[in-house]
Amino acid sequence: MGQAERLGLGRDDFTVLLTREQPFRVDTVLTQRTSHSPMTSIEPMNDDDIDADVTDRMLLQRMSAGDRVALGVLYRSYHGRLCRFLSRLTRRPDVIEEVINDCMWIAWQKAGNFHGDSRVSTWLMGIAYRCGLKALRQHGDEPVEGDTMSEQRTSAHDMDDEDRELRDWLSKGLDHLSVDQRVVIELVYGVGHTLDDVAVIMQCPVGTVKARLFHARVKLRNVLPALAGESPRHQGNVP
Amino acid sequence: MTFLRHSGGDCVRAWDTMPWVLQNSATQEQGEWLEDHLAHCESCRTEFAQQSRLRHAMSLPTDISIDANAGLRRLLGRLDMPDAQEAPYRSRPRHGFSRALVAVVLVQALSIGVLGVKLWSASGSPLYRTLSQESVPAAPGTIRVVPDATMTLADWNALLHALRLQVVGGPNDMGAYTVAPTNATSTAQALQQLRATRGIRLAEPVAVSP
Repeated sequence: MGQAERLGLGRDDFTVLLTREQPFRVDTVLTQRTSHSPMTSIEPMNDDDIDADVTDRMLLQRMSAGDRVALGVLYRSYHGRLCRFLSRLTRRPDVIEEVINDCMWIAWQKAGNFHGDSRVSTWLMGIAYRCGLKALRQHGDEPVEGDTMSEQRTSAHDMDDEDRELRDWLSKGLDHLSVDQRVVIELVYGVGHTLDDVAVIMQCPVGTVKARLFHARVKLRNVLPALAGESPRHQGNVP
Repeated sequence: MTFLRHSGGDCVRAWDTMPWVLQNSATQEQGEWLEDHLAHCESCRTEFAQQSRLRHAMSLPTDISIDANAGLRRLLGRLDMPDAQEAPYRSRPRHGFSRALVAVVLVQALSIGVLGVKLWSASGSPLYRTLSQESVPAAPGTIRVVPDATMTLADWNALLHALRLQVVGGPNDMGAYTVAPTNATSTAQALQQLRATRGIRLAEPVAVSP
């Protein structure tokens, strides 16, 4: 009998305990959604999130035993979102790849020390964020070498004109934000993290994340309509 | 925002709720409340449409395409490197400022070294003597002479010249000079002649301590 059954808890009730016999802690406690704000003290996870996290933990466990195949799976699984996340910090493909590899290197080294205090995705994004900031300090003022960037841009993913236009529109809007504001916007709107997650990733209080998100949204609200050719609707006014 | 100011607390609540409804992390109750609010608030409806567009734009893949397989190959290659432990912290090109600082420190150390060698190789006896230093001990054969105050400089010089003596020290507080023979002149002989000379109040050999 599983621990959840012993406690008389159903998956749809209050708590789901995912217990494993691995050497690291993988207990994931999901608290019932309440009417309180979902973005602060709760980490809501749907079934897909749960499955993805369980898979990630298993991959980490295998990596801690030296399984390079597991590293490859994790690498490919996170490459896209890390790439987009880091592209909010720097536009240099060589730096982005370097940071992704540094991040995965650390994950490889520390896989055995992962205690499951947060989701694997939160843990990895935190590592990527710190590696990214470090890379910014080292490469931030260096020019892009050659035509590497333009070459790699032209081979971008296939997407229709409308989406490409939308992406350019967003890119211009994000230029008006600070690095931290761009990171918060990406983590909340792009990746779908909660405020608590973002606070863990950026290693700062939830209140700071709230403030960054608020100011970023207000700035985008003021500049995005103009960038889309519309007149600003409610410029400069904040709640 | 204007619409929030005009509409009061409900619009503020709607503004706070929108991101979490968009990312499906809001509660069902919050979602229903926002839906109800948007039905009768045009400003928030417009704002929500803008937020939805932003959310969609943020979810699009980046325009920077990086080959995951090539990156993975490089990472696996790094695992096989002998100094793989330091790989994530490998030395990267330093900033110009750091390089300049290192250069300054090296130049400074080099200068201090050169200065030290130069001082060390310089002659041991300086060309001056400080007041705190003890006087140079008298050489053997020197004589301490006290001329009379009435003796003229010309007579004093003539006497030294005649006896082939040279002043090597003094006069001290008592007016005594230390003189030494310039050649093989016997100290005893010079001493006798000095004592016999008028105008010399005292002539004594300097006792040399062993």
